Amino acid sequence: MIGIVDYGLGNLTSVAGAVSKLGFEPHITSDADTLAASDKLILPGVGAFPDGMANLANRGLIDILGDLVIKQRKPILGICLGFQLLGLSSEEFGHTPGLGWIDAPVTRLKPADNALRVPHVGWNDLTQTKPDCILFDGIADQSLFYFVHTFHMETPPDGSQVGTCDYGGAFTAAVQKGNVFGTQFHPEKSQQAGLTLLGNFLEKA
Amino acid sequence: MLRNRLITVLTFNDGTLFRTKLFEPDYRYTHNFVDSWSVDEIVILDITRDPNADKRAFYDVVTQFAKECFVPLAVGGGIRTLDDARQMMAVGGDKVVVNSGAVERPKLITEIAEAYGSQCAVLSVDARKSEILDSGYEVFSHFAGQPTGKAPGDWALEGEKLGAGEIMITSVERDGSLQGYDLALCRQVTEAVTVPVLGMAGAGNWKHFVEGVEQGGLSAVCTQNIYHFTETSIASAKKFMEKKGIPVRL
Repeated sequence: MIGIVDYGLGNLTSVAGAVSKLGFEPHITSDADTLAASDKLILPGVGAFPDGMANLANRGLIDILGDLVIKQRKPILGICLGFQLLGLSSEEFGHTPGLGWIDAPVTRLKPADNALRVPHVGWNDLTQTKPDCILFDGIADQSLFYFVHTFHMETPPDGSQVGTCDYGGAFTAAVQKGNVFGTQFHPEKSQQAGLTLLGNFLEKA
Repeated sequence: MLRNRLITVLTFNDGTLFRTKLFEPDYRYTHNFVDSWSVDEIVILDITRDPNADKRAFYDVVTQFAKECFVPLAVGGGIRTLDDARQMMAVGGDKVVVNSGAVERPKLITEIAEAYGSQCAVLSVDARKSEILDSGYEVFSHFAGQPTGKAPGDWALEGEKLGAGEIMITSVERDGSLQGYDLALCRQVTEAVTVPVLGMAGAGNWKHFVEGVEQGGLSAVCTQNIYHFTETSIASAKKFMEKKGIPVRL
């Protein structure tokens, strides 16, 4: 069973659809017992960072997830906003502390090339900075993934970055720190490469 | 490098797929000719005129696409409130497209952006040629039937400031014409905003996609005249674009 964390934001149905397609049983839930009974967790998310943290807090999910992920070391995959929430903080609409599991802040994209539009929307190449990360099994370097975001996580100093993307400068596009995984792009919206990556997390993490 | 997108737009009238011409349902299809692996993104619009019509058939269509297509789905048609947007997201949309609802009440864009993030709010702008406005074009709402007095570039910029993450510009006169995008109109909008712009209406051959990107400044080119787009045609359109130097996902 795969626990898809429901915190009132995000493309939960899309993620659940991709999990089902891969032959796993998704449960969209914010219930502590259901999350505890799940083999893996996915923290999806579309929306603004302050709302994301506030919603997690209001549902008691910060403590529940902290217990499951940090103490019990249950694998978790953060996607897009869910990935950013893993970081230290975000400057989206002011300064908001994050879950802090990945040691890097989230800041606004500032492409060096002024002609590049923000948000960064569309298909872009993923450079595998750590190709042996299990997320990338069977996926060629420079495969295309679907991005849609205005903010990005800065390079974590703890070496957890496993993939980057270039948009007027390289930014962190995927991380792994032990059982904590995250992608700025949307694997559930990235065709076959995305499904393969999601399948790697579900089968191998 | 970020790729330019080729987006398929599907318009549904009472849950049935239609092509449109000059903003009227024009030709009914019995199959969805979407190559679900080559397409970069899908826009699904409910063009049912009756605001009180049962939307369940449309929601079912969206859910079906969400199950089969692992690409982003932008969904719209008749969104007036945040609750309407929430419903579109709940049935499988990744982004919502607003048009008349935003003209009536611009704050709708901000409400959606605050709830789901800017990247989720797509402002659709329908424009007709104008002899009155200096810009030469005027924004129309309500199925292109109601003049707004706004210039497309101004309205797009206002939309961006209100929180829209993308703008979709549609030429009413070019809808269903196959004569190519209205490039001057596209340029007015792409030069006015810094968010990505999707161009719509008029594409009749592969060259029109290239022009839309090179001359119109579009981030994404859209088409709904799907009789061109049988199983292999999205892929061949993209191969053509790549040969002409446009970065696309093959």
